[in-house]
Amino acid sequence: MEELILKLKEEIIEILNLEGMKPEDIDADAPLFGEGLGLDSIDALELIVLMEKSYGIKLKDPNQGKEIFKSIKVMAEYIAENRTK
Amino acid sequence: MKEILISGMGIVSALGNNIKENLQSLLANRSGIGPLHYLQTSHTEFPVGEVKMTNEEMISLLNISEDEPTIRTALMGMLALREALQNANLSKSETRNPKPETQRIAFISGTTVGGMDKSEQFYLDFLENDTRNAYISTHDCGICTEMIANYFGVFSQVDTISTACSSAANAIILGAELLKSGRADIVVAGGSECLTKFHLNGFNALMILDRKPCRPFDATRAGINLGEGAAYVVMETAESFNKRQQEHPTLKAMCKLSGYGNTCDAFHQTASAPDGEGAYLAMKKAIEEARLSPEQIDYINAHGTGTENNDLSEGTAIMRLFGDKIPPVSSTKSFTGHTTSAAGCVEAILSILALQNNFLPINLNFSEKIPELTFAPVVSQQPTKPLQHIMKNSFGFGGNDTCLIFSKI
Amino acid sequence: MNNIYINSIKQISAQQPLVEDWFEQPIFYSEPYIRAIEPDYKQFFTPNEVRRFGKILKRALLVARQVMAESGVALPDAIITGTGLGCIESTEIFLDKLVRDGEELLNPTHFMQSTHNTIGSLIAIDTKCHSYNSTYAHNGISFECALQDAFMQMKREDAINRVSTALVGAHDEMTPTYFNLLKKTPYFGKLNQAFAGETAVAMMLSTEKAEKTICKIEAVEKMYFGHETIDKFQSQISNLKISNPDYIMVGTNDKPETDNIYLENCAKLFPNIPLLQYKNIFGESYTAPALGVYVAAICLQRGVIPEHLKISGSEFQISDNSVNKILCYNHFDNKNHTFILLSR
Repeated sequence: MEELILKLKEEIIEILNLEGMKPEDIDADAPLFGEGLGLDSIDALELIVLMEKSYGIKLKDPNQGKEIFKSIKVMAEYIAENRTK
Repeated sequence: MKEILISGMGIVSALGNNIKENLQSLLANRSGIGPLHYLQTSHTEFPVGEVKMTNEEMISLLNISEDEPTIRTALMGMLALREALQNANLSKSETRNPKPETQRIAFISGTTVGGMDKSEQFYLDFLENDTRNAYISTHDCGICTEMIANYFGVFSQVDTISTACSSAANAIILGAELLKSGRADIVVAGGSECLTKFHLNGFNALMILDRKPCRPFDATRAGINLGEGAAYVVMETAESFNKRQQEHPTLKAMCKLSGYGNTCDAFHQTASAPDGEGAYLAMKKAIEEARLSPEQIDYINAHGTGTENNDLSEGTAIMRLFGDKIPPVSSTKSFTGHTTSAAGCVEAILSILALQNNFLPINLNFSEKIPELTFAPVVSQQPTKPLQHIMKNSFGFGGNDTCLIFSKI
Repeated sequence: MNNIYINSIKQISAQQPLVEDWFEQPIFYSEPYIRAIEPDYKQFFTPNEVRRFGKILKRALLVARQVMAESGVALPDAIITGTGLGCIESTEIFLDKLVRDGEELLNPTHFMQSTHNTIGSLIAIDTKCHSYNSTYAHNGISFECALQDAFMQMKREDAINRVSTALVGAHDEMTPTYFNLLKKTPYFGKLNQAFAGETAVAMMLSTEKAEKTICKIEAVEKMYFGHETIDKFQSQISNLKISNPDYIMVGTNDKPETDNIYLENCAKLFPNIPLLQYKNIFGESYTAPALGVYVAAICLQRGVIPEHLKISGSEFQISDNSVNKILCYNHFDNKNHTFILLSR
């Protein structure tokens, strides 16, 4: 799980262009949206693309993201359970 | 203050290839949305409102040489513009050599896609060989406007507006300003936009396309059906119109553009503010400019895309402005699909047809009211009182919000 | 009628950004394609603020913020943008993926930022400005379309929602790929023509003169001659009320077919008025005419014309003329002709 969390952090920094941030700057339990990382609805869509590209998980409804993208940790748990690649 | 009259209209949309067909479809509550037929894409799961003609059919209708590089947006634009000019007694032959002192005709077209249909088809050729180079030059929006203008060859100035889905509505505003400032005697304004893989996939990436027929202002709405089309209105000052009417007794003014407002939501690149601030301000500005009060608006043709976000935000803005006296509201996007940059004028013309024929275009596919809103959209064509003033909303990505008001003369 | 002034103007281009170094120390280039010199954005933006922005958006936002600060106008009555190609970098990324990898897994950010109005709406979002906001995308006259809109609305005194201040921007980026494509077209198809450059210009217009006012805009005229002959053009242009300027800033770019049109028209319409150039140091781009206005405005403000704006071979002495009125004349493809008259 730790490994997946680190990989996710790296991927998120890259695709969301979080310039100057390092994986250790992101708290795996902190909320991704609003407070915390301060991501928005477009970032959520980018994360949906990431889920499919890297882990073969297809989300049809952007509202599903709200639960899954609560924090990096929640996301990692969901991926571990549902990944197809 | 100069009065701005609408003296001609032309349209191609999923509802038909001219004004008459569009009116008939609207009156018959017949949607133009259906399965994908003309656009080549793997996303066949999305219903769309296509113009029911191939490029080849349009080329032949327009009598254009097949060797000439053409783009779909320009072809549709030429057809709509031809009808608008004929409709206003400014047909091709007559205006080939207008007298410059008496007639300065400006052409303003809204588009975002421009020549993207060919760019996406030939992009690898552009990069890798020289077989399709002619289409590199047809990519940008301005060339598209000039292709349409050059087919007629009568225009003293051309402008291209690109404010995404409010482009054509903003073209109409610019037209009014050109007339008021005396820079033009007649303006033809509107927009044209064909479907492309590019923006179909873009909207899909934003996850705002519905796989079922779209349901604006419905509690179960789940997104947009894209459409395509072209529409132009001929606008002129009363002075120009009266002068021309003496020469052409059949010339008819359809209505006047009595007010308009353009604002920016200034909230988010793709989402509208929950309180509908931009939409509210645009409608308020238009009403002020028309020197009307909200109670005098008899019908609102909403932007109503069918996304969760737009319809709630726009509905909230309508509630804020109209309070407990909300006029009949409908979105005609369940007839035409979202014709993006052309939508402002496509839907303005549908609204003007409603004004002329005194009926309300219904909000097709509606069944269940949005719980947060105090109103439900129009389901019956019968207006409660004769239509005098109607409002047309058009909003674009980035919060480019525009509202137009048309009034009976 | 209201007077209209340029109260602040800034650029990012092939010359040193945000400053007027080009006046004394212009940079001359010999390559065919030059990207803009980027300022150090870290000084101006937090990384998170601009993480999604491509080059064109960073430049546009920065010059907009600077002219707003310099002119003391936090909320202009209009934000009007001209851009020939919009955010072509984002467009290209989305298109390339679509064409090569198919219609799945495309990134929404690139699409969202591919529309031309991204620039103007971004400035509105940044400043929370709900004012009139529009974008013009008409190749080589995109900037003049935007300027005309602002000028016309500011001249209107009867409007209920008066426009007294307007932020007008002109922005185009040129990616390596798009430059390679345009080399295959007449636009950049000639060897030795002025280099392909990039433009980011913002200006604050106001109906009020300020201490820092740079110059006045006397006239903005545009005409289209898609099918017309030069005779028609000359009869029309003579109707314009453009009194004889001291200089004409033309868009010559070392392409004979373009340059000859400037030379012929100027010789007939404004005989003996010296011509100036700017594309020799700023390059060619769809919105380059905004850089022409910028250069003319700074010359008027300083009351001097630098020697390097002189078109080689022309015979006048720079010091012979007063610098009170400059006409900026641009044509694109000999179809669209635009005239902007500036005065001190």
